[in-house]
Amino acid sequence: MKPTSIHGQSRLTHALVFALSLSILFYAAGVQTAAAHDVTPGDAGYIQEIWGVHIIPFIYLGAKHMVTGYDHILFLLGVVFFLYRMKDVAIYVSLFALGHSVTMLFGVWYGWGINAYIIDAIIGLSVVYKALDNLGFFQRVLGFQPNTKAATLIFGLFHGTGLASKILEYKISPDGLLANLLAFNVGVEIGQLLALFVILIVMGYWRKSPNFMRQATIANIIMVFLGVLLTYQQIAGYIASTS
Amino acid sequence: MYNAPQPKLEDLPSNRQLGRMSVVAAIGAAAIGVMVYLPAEYGIDPTGIGSVLGLTEMGEIKQQLSKEAAEDEKLHGSQDSSSLVDGVLGLFVSTAQAQDAWKDVVTFTLEPGAYTEIKATMEKGATLTYAWMADGGRINFDLHAHAGGENVTYEKGRGETSGAGSFETPFAGDHGWFWRNRDTSAVTVTLQLRGDYSGLVRSD
Repeated sequence: MKPTSIHGQSRLTHALVFALSLSILFYAAGVQTAAAHDVTPGDAGYIQEIWGVHIIPFIYLGAKHMVTGYDHILFLLGVVFFLYRMKDVAIYVSLFALGHSVTMLFGVWYGWGINAYIIDAIIGLSVVYKALDNLGFFQRVLGFQPNTKAATLIFGLFHGTGLASKILEYKISPDGLLANLLAFNVGVEIGQLLALFVILIVMGYWRKSPNFMRQATIANIIMVFLGVLLTYQQIAGYIASTS
Repeated sequence: MYNAPQPKLEDLPSNRQLGRMSVVAAIGAAAIGVMVYLPAEYGIDPTGIGSVLGLTEMGEIKQQLSKEAAEDEKLHGSQDSSSLVDGVLGLFVSTAQAQDAWKDVVTFTLEPGAYTEIKATMEKGATLTYAWMADGGRINFDLHAHAGGENVTYEKGRGETSGAGSFETPFAGDHGWFWRNRDTSAVTVTLQLRGDYSGLVRSD
């Protein structure tokens, strides 16, 4: 029988290599931007060509934004990581949904001009916070457990502000804005539920494994790294945009 | 060291439940892929549901735009137009205009989805004054120019029925409108022009 410490170490190395390659992937995804001058391709291009009420296309765009938004998904994963009962999952996910819906709708409606880099850096920090929270970091350092429901709601507000700044960049036509915005919000929640469904299946199998608690530590450490990376990228982007 | 207890077995879903959820997820993913994702991203709609939902139109517009963006990049290279230049030039575009005699009146009709480009050949620092009206529906436009590696966007609009103003050119070349009908009916646009230009170019 192999000594368990070596076994554990190689597992940790694997995890770190995985985290690193994931980070590089995300970084590459962040670097590529649309470059053509007359034509805006993609979702933004479509939105800039249309006006009036388009309920289902905006539901689709909202869901797509959530499912492909790895910062939101990572936070959601952190929130449900140690929630074993469906009732708790429902409560926390609803708090997150409430938070991001409020700021998303108000942010777009009133055109809050908050810098996208700053808000995305805070969203990166929300991932760091939740992963540290899962690791019991605050209990040990502060001596008490900060309210997890409040944290989920408050970070939800920041995630919604981030969503709002993305939607403002889309330049949705004022014609049909409210209906389209509400449709987008519905889409965001549908996308969140779809992502959550997959997360819960994976977590369901994982939690049954006898190594779950040990691997959970590694997974949350990786999440801290990814959150730091997201934050770093946004701060670097902000510095580049101001200089 | 964790902020959570070890999961209790009775709190966890059974293997049978998880298996069922996985099957639902797989079927759901396949259905969304075929009925929603393919139409909405590529305009490919094997089931016909994408068209019913209005997603195929989105996919077709995206494909058209990405094709145009690729052609555009081949033609002009990939650089963004300077937003500073756009901002400064925006000041030159004013709306109030007297009813002096127009030099040219161009009328054209676009079916839904059709587009055309109408541009005036101008020197650097020249001014063009215009007024236009759309009839039968609403129109999208992009008033711009690109020549010799330089480019400028004067104004963009969508779902508009009229417009008027003037602009001053920052460089020599063809300056004018890309028009596209995204409405559901044919649109006829009447465009009136005057100013320092040597000719009009139209390309479809």
